[in-house]
Amino acid sequence: MRDLARRIPLALAALVALVAAPGLALAQEFQKVEGAPRQEMAASPFVVGAYSFIWLAVVVYVFIVARGLARVDRELRDLEQKLQRGGGPNR
Amino acid sequence: MISNAPVEPVMGFVQKIFYFHVPCAIMLFLSTFACAAGSIAYLFKGSEKGDRLAVSAAELSVLFGACVLVSGPLWGRKAWGVWWQWDARLTSSLLLVLMMVGYLIARRYAGPAGRKLAAALALFAAVNVPLVYKSVDIWRTVHPQTTVVPKLDPRMRPAFWSAFLLMTLTWSLLLALRYRLENARAALASARLEVDDLLEMKR
Repeated sequence: MRDLARRIPLALAALVALVAAPGLALAQEFQKVEGAPRQEMAASPFVVGAYSFIWLAVVVYVFIVARGLARVDRELRDLEQKLQRGGGPNR
Repeated sequence: MISNAPVEPVMGFVQKIFYFHVPCAIMLFLSTFACAAGSIAYLFKGSEKGDRLAVSAAELSVLFGACVLVSGPLWGRKAWGVWWQWDARLTSSLLLVLMMVGYLIARRYAGPAGRKLAAALALFAAVNVPLVYKSVDIWRTVHPQTTVVPKLDPRMRPAFWSAFLLMTLTWSLLLALRYRLENARAALASARLEVDDLLEMKR
């Protein structure tokens, strides 16, 4: 009797699996749908975004390097003036 | 030229990103090689000029790497439906850019040995470049293969090569400008030392 009680749920599970298997297989397949609306994304925001980022990055980099050059030139001039004053305030 | 180039039939208008995405990737490779060449000169000959070239080129690697890593996902989102795929080309490119970021971090924060550590890292980055380039042929990937440019539609070639020329010119000017800054910094450091020496002598 106990054996039968164990076997019934197992048999039921096997039956469910057997019945569900073709359904599962069907769910894995692609089906063609006629007349469905196409999901379209506009391409221009992506193109504009990519081009803008590239050129903006270049311009920002030029700005940073040019600012660095100006600062170094200024410091060099300050040093020259300090030398001409014969040591200046540090003396 | 780019607007006059024909629209690619499969991807459509978004394929126009190709005209600057690929030259940016080539500039990334070129910068990494220039950084490695400078690093070799610095490591083996102690060349200060080589070191200045290396740091200038490393910054350009990061700049153009960022351009590649931003324009690529923008293209991919429209063409593949996803921003990012952990495939061989994308992952190895990201790794290359991270190595160059590592180069700059090592120079800035690794103390007195930072320049040599960074130079060694640049050599590893340069070795990674051929791997990044060939990754699309070696592994299965969603990214287009290396045959895209050689097999480019003849009507698209003028747009591509003019964009490539423009990007090469931009890269050369940026490198020259950045190298000038590095020279100016070196001149400033040496002038400071001279002034300090002079002041010391006068005391």
